[in-house]
Amino acid sequence: MMRKGVEAVLLLSLLFFTSHAKATRFSPPGKPALTRCRSPEKETFTCWWEPGSDGGLPTTYALYYRKENSETVYECPDYHTAGENSCFFNKNDTSIWVNYNITVVATNALGSTFSDPVDIDVVYIVKPNPPEKVTVSVMEDKGWPFLRVSWEPPHKADTRSGWITLIYELRVKLEGEDEWEMHLAGQQKMFNIFSLRSGGTYHVQVRCKPDHGFWSEWSSTSYIKVPDYFHREKSVWILITVFSAFIFLILTWLLHMNSHSLKHCILPPVPGPKIKGFDKQLLKDGKSEDVFSALVVSDFPPTTSSNYEDLLVEYLEVYIPEEQELTLEESKDLHDSCLKSEGSTSDNDSGRGSCDSHTLLMDKGEAKEGERQTDQEESQTEAQRQQKDWDEEELTYTHEDMVSPDMSSGRVKTWPSVFSPLPQYTLSPLVQRSSLEMAKQHCLSDSMFPPSSTSSYLIQPGNSTKEALGPSHWEFSLSNKQPQLLHPKTQAHSDINISSIGHKQTPVSLQSPALRRTEYVEVQRVNEEDMVLLQPIVCGEGCPQMRQAEDYSKVRGVDSDNRLLLQREVAKEEVDMCPYEDQEADGATESCYTSSDINTNQKPPACSYTATPVQDNRTLPASGYVDTATMFTLPTY
Amino acid sequence: MPGNIRSVSAVRVVLLCLVFCRRLTIIGAAPICTNGQAGCHVLSLANLFDRVIQHSARMHGISNDLHSEFEQYFLPSKNQVGRVSRNCHTSTILTPNGKENAQRMAREELTEVILKLLVAWGDPLWHFHQTLEMSDMVHELRKGVEKVAEKMQMLGIIVNSVSSQASPEALLPSDSAEWRLMKDYDLLYCFRRDSNKVQNYLKILKCRIVPEHGC
Repeated sequence: MMRKGVEAVLLLSLLFFTSHAKATRFSPPGKPALTRCRSPEKETFTCWWEPGSDGGLPTTYALYYRKENSETVYECPDYHTAGENSCFFNKNDTSIWVNYNITVVATNALGSTFSDPVDIDVVYIVKPNPPEKVTVSVMEDKGWPFLRVSWEPPHKADTRSGWITLIYELRVKLEGEDEWEMHLAGQQKMFNIFSLRSGGTYHVQVRCKPDHGFWSEWSSTSYIKVPDYFHREKSVWILITVFSAFIFLILTWLLHMNSHSLKHCILPPVPGPKIKGFDKQLLKDGKSEDVFSALVVSDFPPTTSSNYEDLLVEYLEVYIPEEQELTLEESKDLHDSCLKSEGSTSDNDSGRGSCDSHTLLMDKGEAKEGERQTDQEESQTEAQRQQKDWDEEELTYTHEDMVSPDMSSGRVKTWPSVFSPLPQYTLSPLVQRSSLEMAKQHCLSDSMFPPSSTSSYLIQPGNSTKEALGPSHWEFSLSNKQPQLLHPKTQAHSDINISSIGHKQTPVSLQSPALRRTEYVEVQRVNEEDMVLLQPIVCGEGCPQMRQAEDYSKVRGVDSDNRLLLQREVAKEEVDMCPYEDQEADGATESCYTSSDINTNQKPPACSYTATPVQDNRTLPASGYVDTATMFTLPTY
Repeated sequence: MPGNIRSVSAVRVVLLCLVFCRRLTIIGAAPICTNGQAGCHVLSLANLFDRVIQHSARMHGISNDLHSEFEQYFLPSKNQVGRVSRNCHTSTILTPNGKENAQRMAREELTEVILKLLVAWGDPLWHFHQTLEMSDMVHELRKGVEKVAEKMQMLGIIVNSVSSQASPEALLPSDSAEWRLMKDYDLLYCFRRDSNKVQNYLKILKCRIVPEHGC
């Protein structure tokens, strides 16, 4: 019993110790494994294996192979050529299209271990060496560069005899980039790469593969720097530069040519005094007396009634956009517009203020409808209106040698002087264009003056010898020749630096203003008492004519509302005053109203001098007269 | 047993037909003119060689695909111990198995080897699967090589005429027709190898005889 127990214990301890000894110390080698076999040229091949654990003991490895259909086992002829854990088969030992069965055995003191066998056929394990002598060069194709890559097959691979057929592949990338651009080159040994970036450096690599086998490793990188073909781009830039310079020159020249008109466009000229004989320099020097005395023309007003024609301005420019343009023939001395810019003889519109005198006298033929649509015309309308009133007033004061208008041509000639504009008398320098508007209003509001006011309303044309017109004054100065009718009042408006000039009992050196009347009134003649006999011109439909001898040429005065009141000299029965203008832009109905019912603000705007769209229900007197007797009222502005 | 496996395998290989039919349609080698045929211009030897080489390349490609797919579908595990005993029915044909051997061989011999191989494979492929039309391809290739041989002989490159009198029956032992016993897989394996041989030999011939293009 005891013996058995001792034996059991001994056995157990023996087992224990042996197992322990095994665990810590030596063991047969682990199982190696063939990792791969490769042939670089289909003539030799190499196999590599991975050793297993060596079991703590020095282990040797051996490779054994068998060829197809043969039982003979051969051992690896060369363990060293290919390095550690490898077996190299040279040409003599290599047979193509023959199946090799290869096994690796690891042996140590304790035993040996066989690896798993591997069957290979050399044909299918070909992995060539990378292509050699890779050259990259930059070539040019019509000015644009491209890369030409050329290479040679690995020297070991025999492609010349047709033993191996290789296909190639290359890859390109720019320096600094991560992505390669792959190109399959087939069996050719040369390749072109286009679309290069100028100045860039390219990396090129090539590899090859037999028709059935493995890809080789990439060849070593070839670097190529593409030169800057900036010259090609530069020529384009030069062309562009020259072209744009050329265009620029042309534009400059055009600008220079048209600088004048451009200047007018952008910076409208400020009207300046345009009075012949007016010496600005004197004015600047402050010698106003000298200035104005220089303006006095001794032989004006002409006392002879010989040639009134000379004093008349044939034509005044009236801007009617849709109708025929009235072309005015300006006398040199006279200026049509109220405010006329100094330089713009061609520009009808410039410098025209509302006090456009020539609107008073209108071409009979034209302004029948009298469509004036511009602002200016509006103002002209207004100006006309007032001027018409003034006309009454003024013409009474005009010289006796004011000639009745020449009716022959059917045109009304304008009266000299009275309402010629003051182009030269610019408003204060501050007031330029805006003053036009302002002046407009002033003109309009100037229209009505109380008769008692003394004012000299002189619209001085170029050579009129008017005094008391300062440069910054905008004045209508009436001649005070016949003060009985009217106290001319100097127009004073504080708004714009229009200061009234003192009552200047100026000689009636009115020059023929370039008046342009509205249509329906024409000056027939001036009688000896310096009364202008007005005759309404042929009016529109159904408008009864005013009887001739009737004249509303006296201005009674201006009422408190700045309304010009005319006095009808001849007491007539009702005169139908009809609007001569047919068309009114507002389409107001024409109506005739007799002078007897006046006292109301009639508003047929049709009865306006001009047919321009009258805004804000201006009411205009029928025939342009204001009959103070009947208390026509003109609308205030 | 082999028969059962064979029939099953044969049925399954039909599934592979689609793959090959596609490839087969690609193969459209231009017909080589027979002598005296009107409207047909005579090709140079280099062109003839190029044609047959292309043809053989396609044939080998198809055999490769056949084999790999067969292996993939039907033999997932590769522990075929009996592989060593694989015996192709064409192993009796002596073929050079190295570059030096092939280069040392005379042109006529090499051409004859090629023809023998091609002849040997006509029937087995037909029996393997009729619809694959592989045997047709082999036949076509054989005719092409014969044309090349004729041309070479005409040009005086080959002295002795290469006879294609080798018949399948002459090559193979008449009794067993060993190829019937081959497993499908082995058949495909052998065919793949032999087509590679044919292609390689043709290339060697070409680069030896007309080395101008692509050698």
